[in-house]
Amino acid sequence: MRNLSSLKQEFLRKWIKGLRKYNSQKKNMNLLERKKAIKLSADLAMASTRNKATLWRKALVAKTSIDESNKNDISTSSQPKKIRKKLTNSSPLCRKRRRIRTVYKAKERVEASFIAKKMVQKRTRKLKSLLPGGKSMDEACLVDETLDYIESLRAQVEVMRCLVTASELFINPSPP
Amino acid sequence: MSSRRSRSRQTSSSSRNITDDQIHDLVSKLQQLLPEIRNRSSDKVSASRVLQETCNYIRSLHREVDDLSERLSELLATTDSAQAAIIRNLLMQ
Repeated sequence: MRNLSSLKQEFLRKWIKGLRKYNSQKKNMNLLERKKAIKLSADLAMASTRNKATLWRKALVAKTSIDESNKNDISTSSQPKKIRKKLTNSSPLCRKRRRIRTVYKAKERVEASFIAKKMVQKRTRKLKSLLPGGKSMDEACLVDETLDYIESLRAQVEVMRCLVTASELFINPSPP
Repeated sequence: MSSRRSRSRQTSSSSRNITDDQIHDLVSKLQQLLPEIRNRSSDKVSASRVLQETCNYIRSLHREVDDLSERLSELLATTDSAQAAIIRNLLMQ
């Protein structure tokens, strides 16, 4: 677990540096703007830990730079979703291939293994949608990316949790 | 006969499906990473269950980051105590 604590230290350092940079850019942010700044700097810090060139890191950095330019305009904060709208499965050739496949599978449609396979496909798609940049990942790297992402995400959460609960206790100490 | 068909199906769709080996790899590594999963699982964990637990875990982490960011933002907004000023100086300057 020494990996985790060094990861957390690196994250904390970079996050605080990022927080200070955001604050110097714009004084007197409102609650929502500050929350976005905190989240963006946390994500950026997480993406820059470990110096690994994983896909999710690159995608997260790209996303935060887009979100940053939208940060000052809260009403357009749904813009990042536009970039992911690439429909790759609707070409006529894909549709034809899919029709042929369903003919073969007609008899086995009720088999448990068929259902299980469909579930795995469905959940793999879900996992991809949760990872930054997941849509462009193939299954070969999905597992490694997921594990790395979870590890970094966990470090991020634990550091933030520690800081926030300690600060809350400090500012509002519980009555004796 | 059905195995022949399923094998050929697998090679044509192997680039789309996550393989059993990869699931096994994911499960064992997740078990090292997350003690919560270790307690509940036996040797034969289904692939879709592992994927579901992984998705749930990632989603809960995302929610927690969002919640913590909100709480920190509120903390930094409080101006009425000396302690708040200390925290603000620590984090923002």
